[in-house]
Amino acid sequence: MPSVARAVPLFMIVIWLLAALSLTGVYLYQASESRVVRVATTTSLYATGLLDLLSQEFQARYPGFEVRFIAVGSGEALRRAAMGDADLVLVHAPSLEKRYLAEGVLSEGEIIAYNYFVLLGPLEDPADVRGVDVLEALRRIYVAGERGEAVFVSRGDNSGTHVRELILWRLTGLDPSGRPWYIEAGAGMAQTLLIAGERQAYTLSDVGTYLKFRERLPNMGVMVEGGELLMNIYSVYLVRVPGARLEPAQAFMEFLTSEEGQSLIGGYGVEEFGRPLFNPAHGDPDGRLRKAWERLSGL
Amino acid sequence: MAGLALELGEVAGIVLRSLMVSGAATLLSASWSIPLALRLVLGGEERGKRLVMDLLNSLVGIPTVVVGLILYFLLSRSGPLGQLQLLYTPLAITIGQAILITPFIASLSAEALRSVRERLWETLISLGATEGQAAATVVDEASPGLVTSILLGFSRAVGELGVALMLGGNIRGFTRVMTTAIALEVGRGEFELALALGAILVSLSFLTTLTIRALTREIGWRTLG
Repeated sequence: MPSVARAVPLFMIVIWLLAALSLTGVYLYQASESRVVRVATTTSLYATGLLDLLSQEFQARYPGFEVRFIAVGSGEALRRAAMGDADLVLVHAPSLEKRYLAEGVLSEGEIIAYNYFVLLGPLEDPADVRGVDVLEALRRIYVAGERGEAVFVSRGDNSGTHVRELILWRLTGLDPSGRPWYIEAGAGMAQTLLIAGERQAYTLSDVGTYLKFRERLPNMGVMVEGGELLMNIYSVYLVRVPGARLEPAQAFMEFLTSEEGQSLIGGYGVEEFGRPLFNPAHGDPDGRLRKAWERLSGL
Repeated sequence: MAGLALELGEVAGIVLRSLMVSGAATLLSASWSIPLALRLVLGGEERGKRLVMDLLNSLVGIPTVVVGLILYFLLSRSGPLGQLQLLYTPLAITIGQAILITPFIASLSAEALRSVRERLWETLISLGATEGQAAATVVDEASPGLVTSILLGFSRAVGELGVALMLGGNIRGFTRVMTTAIALEVGRGEFELALALGAILVSLSFLTTLTIRALTREIGWRTLG
């Protein structure tokens, strides 16, 4: 196409030059990578702002290290780790963790914190679940749902919260999937809570996100809380896949489990919510958390 | 709320990063999309051209997260290009967005060129212009349309979420751009902040368009061609 070759060179040359220039700019902007920790983390932990605080304190203590968080659901975080794209994972889905441990993606980890999932619902409580055991509550929601009196909103996104919800349903022996009153949002906790608020539906939430959204959910309240089945255990794992940067990852993991890291975790949220969002594990001295994790991972 | 509110400096950083990453992506994409369009419209009759056009047109609407996912598999440590260590870098977003908007820019540019060509080609040739001169005139006449297609490409790049999230990872101070910051603030329940960021995004996109429009009108592509 000789005709075109003569028609365009000048302005294409301008575009090519600009493209080369701006690409160089983007490239130069990228820092060196050697002491960077890539942490794939569950969204619920990141969205609270806790991790930004922890990494700030860590970097103040260890200048030269840099922590980069990739905030995704627990399922995606573990998958990315398996593909070699994370050095450290922070997750809260014991049954998924167990599978990736068995596959050799993760090396032994540590429990860093825990809190509780809460079963939320409309204040009128059409399924009459307030204060009962969580499995009984789900059974009542199922029955009320079938009668057209209650709606349940599920995350439906393979996140730690969703995985737990499915385990709870399985323990009831009931299968809600496909029922007209069972809405699979396929969304993050925030959107799921809003859908539940709009539909006046029941849903399972981590307590941190709920506290954040409480004022936007005027007619919703906590129906069921507490108990081992609703225990939400956050763990940190080193990734054992080739290419993972072990040294900086270990340094950050040690910081998370150190007394200083643990007290930062335990104090977080008091200012904003009047109560801490997470209970630090403090090394799990009596083995209680490990036992709970074992039981939850086997469910 | 105050604890999580973005500082002004951080917002400025996010805005600048967005402009830089997506601006580079747009230029990179234009550097191959426009020649492709020129070849499709002015490059003589070839078999398969129609097919290429149809393919480009159907790829215009490809979900951004699909492009992000495909490139994620390529750039992942365990992928064929993993050795480049591009994943979770601004450059990865730039490359991803450049690929994302290629059908967009190529298709719109080709359309702009085609309408001018249909209008002028026969006349130019009958007036004694050589094919080269006629092509040069067509490109000149179509240049506002080419600029528009590049600007629309920029709008799509700066406003997309899927590629930036999959390839950049929304890392604070490094790969966090406008759209990923908005998604994060929504997830955090900071809806007002997310809306404010959205407003900044739209105004910036608008300002960029106006500026480039004015610049190209001032300089005049005619003198370049």
